[in-house]
Order: sequence, then structure tokens, then C-alpha cells
Amino acid sequence: MKFLCVSCDEAMKLIEAKPPDRGSLTVVYRCPKCAHEFAMLTNPYETQIVGSLGVQVGPEGDGAAKCPFPGVMQEMGASLDGSSAASPWTPEATERLANIPEFARPMAKAGIEKFAKDRGLAQIDVEVLEQAKNFFGM
Amino acid sequence: MKSYYDIAGDGGSDILQQVAVQQESVARSLSGVRNLLAVGSGKGGVGKSTLVMQLAYALRELGNAVSILDADLNGPSQARLGALQNRMLIPGESGAPVPTTRNGIGVVSMGSLVPEPRSVEFESVASGSSHTWRATKEFTFLRELMACMDWGKLDYLLVDLPPGAERIVQYAELLGPAALFVLVTVPSDLATGVVARSLDALKKTPNRILGYVENMDGYYCSDCGQVKPLFPAQPQVKLDLPCLGSVPFDPELAALCDRGGSPCEVPALVSWQPVRRIAEEVCQRVAERVSAPEEKA
Repeated sequence: MKFLCVSCDEAMKLIEAKPPDRGSLTVVYRCPKCAHEFAMLTNPYETQIVGSLGVQVGPEGDGAAKCPFPGVMQEMGASLDGSSAASPWTPEATERLANIPEFARPMAKAGIEKFAKDRGLAQIDVEVLEQAKNFFGM
Repeated sequence: MKSYYDIAGDGGSDILQQVAVQQESVARSLSGVRNLLAVGSGKGGVGKSTLVMQLAYALRELGNAVSILDADLNGPSQARLGALQNRMLIPGESGAPVPTTRNGIGVVSMGSLVPEPRSVEFESVASGSSHTWRATKEFTFLRELMACMDWGKLDYLLVDLPPGAERIVQYAELLGPAALFVLVTVPSDLATGVVARSLDALKKTPNRILGYVENMDGYYCSDCGQVKPLFPAQPQVKLDLPCLGSVPFDPELAALCDRGGSPCEVPALVSWQPVRRIAEEVCQRVAERVSAPEEKA
């Protein structure tokens, strides 16, 4: 979608996208020529459809949770944002976590932490990830 | 006044570019895959998933490196067929390693991540309207899954497609023009009529269709050792496509599938030899495609 300032015949530029409020995004555009501003306010259907493309609109994306199996997550005792008070992760292991999709990270994090805890490992590093990989036959 | 196409870029939302990046990451992830072979039907219940796993074993027996992508997010079967339930993704050095059956078939399936009987849920800001966005979300999800896996070097990546005659074209677009297709039917007009619709839709794509498999072509009776008719008559509806082979319904195979076993463990399985012949036929047709790439089925 593009926006045109009719009086200037100039393409409007995106200035700001505010995080969704009850499913509605506020996206502010400005005409680079006359500086006229307007805001596009999406309804939840529009927000969801764009969010379903897996793209980010503005600073916070569509605001919808990425994990498609929140029920499973809760059963595993993991939080949906992946935070936990369990074994600390080294920076290298945390970096490697970015190699799997966002939706799978909280579950992987919880599972690997359980794997480490069961073996009395105090810290999760790349070596623990390799052990888990071998343990699960990958 | 300027039109859409007179304006370069999209004013800063960058959505088209983000989608393009997603597509590039899939292509990069699949760069080691020699043949992307999608197995679909349009009709549900014709035994696509079972056939995919059997075909994977047969292709592997012929010396190929094979993995399976279960594209049926809502009714995944491949995790159970490969005894790979309850496997989370573990971050590797370059993507997520593909879980592997004990006989060496890689399997990526939602059935590994979401235990039965849970359904896959996507949270939404537009509650009660999932019919308007769910398909888009599922394809995005599938694309993300394809992009993040460390597929490695494969001779065949088999894609087990969900039912839906019209959706087969959407999967063809997702997988790209190089993806090959095999259709599965059973000997009934009811099923073959739907598969014919899938074929009609697929013929409008640039993708090549290798042929079809007639599954459940009779059933094997272990009491008398014979294959007996399962359907009352041969279908009147014909598919304008080469038949790669027919496979009888085999209760022993059904039992094997339920426990995630491999046909390699039961070489006397009646349905195994037909599947092996189909695998040989597939390999032959793929080799022909390499020598005559411009032709479509």
C-alpha cells in the first residue's frame, strides 16, 4: 500500500508506526514536500492480515504472539516470551537460539533447560546444545 | 496524478522487501536439495502420508538421501509414521537439525512439536475471523519452517501436502516452479474426480507432474494370500497422466505405520514391492527430466 499527497502529487513517507492498541495499528505518514501528515488507523482484521505475512510493520510488529502452541508451552512451564529463571545461557548459546524460528524458541528453550536440569548442568552453552541434539537423535 | 506504479518503494513500510527476504531465505535453505517432490491429491483419506513415508524408505533403499516436510500443519502424520513425536527443534550451527527416523529419513512435522490431540492455534488480534487470515498465516509459518531447517544435501525432499484441490496450486507457488508433483488417488470415481480437479489446477502452473499413484488398489487378505477388490468397479474418471504404479491396501502396513515402523524391517510386506517399483519409476522420470528439462508432463 502506498499513499499519495494529492495536492503535491508526491508519495507520502512513513514516519511512525505505533504498537497495536486493541488490534489497531496507527501508522503516521508525511508528505515530504508540504509536510502534511495523516495517520492510517487499521482495524484488527487489517492488522491481522498484514501480520499473517510474517512481516514487521513499524517498531513492534503486529503484537500477536508468534507461538502457535501456547497450550503446550504452558504445560511445559515455559513462558511465552521465553524468559525463565532456570539455568543461565551463555551468549553463544543464546545467539544460536536465533537459528530456529521465533515460534519454536520458547519451547526449545524450556526443553533444553529441562534437559540441562535433569543432568545437573548449571549453565547452557553450545556444548549442552550439541549434547541435546545428539540425545534427541538429530 | 501519480499511480501506484509511478512511485518507487512503498513509503517506508518495507513489506514487499520483507516478503522477498523470506523467499530468499527459503531458496538458500533448500540450496542443497536436488529434487523437491510434492505428493498431493486434493482428496483426503487416499493414503498420501503413508505413501510418502513408504516412498521415502524406498528412495533411500535406492541410495538416495531423503527427508520429508509434512506440509499438513493441522493434520500432521509424518511424526507418528516416523516415530518422531515429542521432538522439539534444537538450534544448530546453521539452522535447526532435521529430526531423523532410526532408518535415516529426516522428518519435519508439526506432529513432532504439538502432541496429539492438541490443535495448532495462532493467536490473533482479530478474534473470531480466522477464516480471513489463517491460510496466509499457515503459508508464512510453513515458509519460516522451511527456511530455518538445516536440510543439508538431499537427493529428495518429499513434501506431504494436505488435502484441498485448489490449495495444491498455492503449494506449487510456495515451493517454486522446480518442484515436481506426484498425485495420489484411489480407484473410485469419487476420489479420482477430485484428483482430476487438482490435476487441472496444477496443469496451469509451470510445475512438472511426474504421474499418479493408485493407492488402495484392492486389499491384501492375509488368510488367502490374495489381493481382493476394495472398490466395486474401476473408476470411469481417467487421469490424463502416467500411472507410476498401484499399491494394495495392506492391514499389516497400517499396523506398521501406527507404530512408526519401517517397511525395511518387514521385507515380505505385500505393499512394499509396488512402492519400490514406484520409487524406481520416480527416479527414472526425474532422470529424464534432467535430460529434457523444457518439457512439462
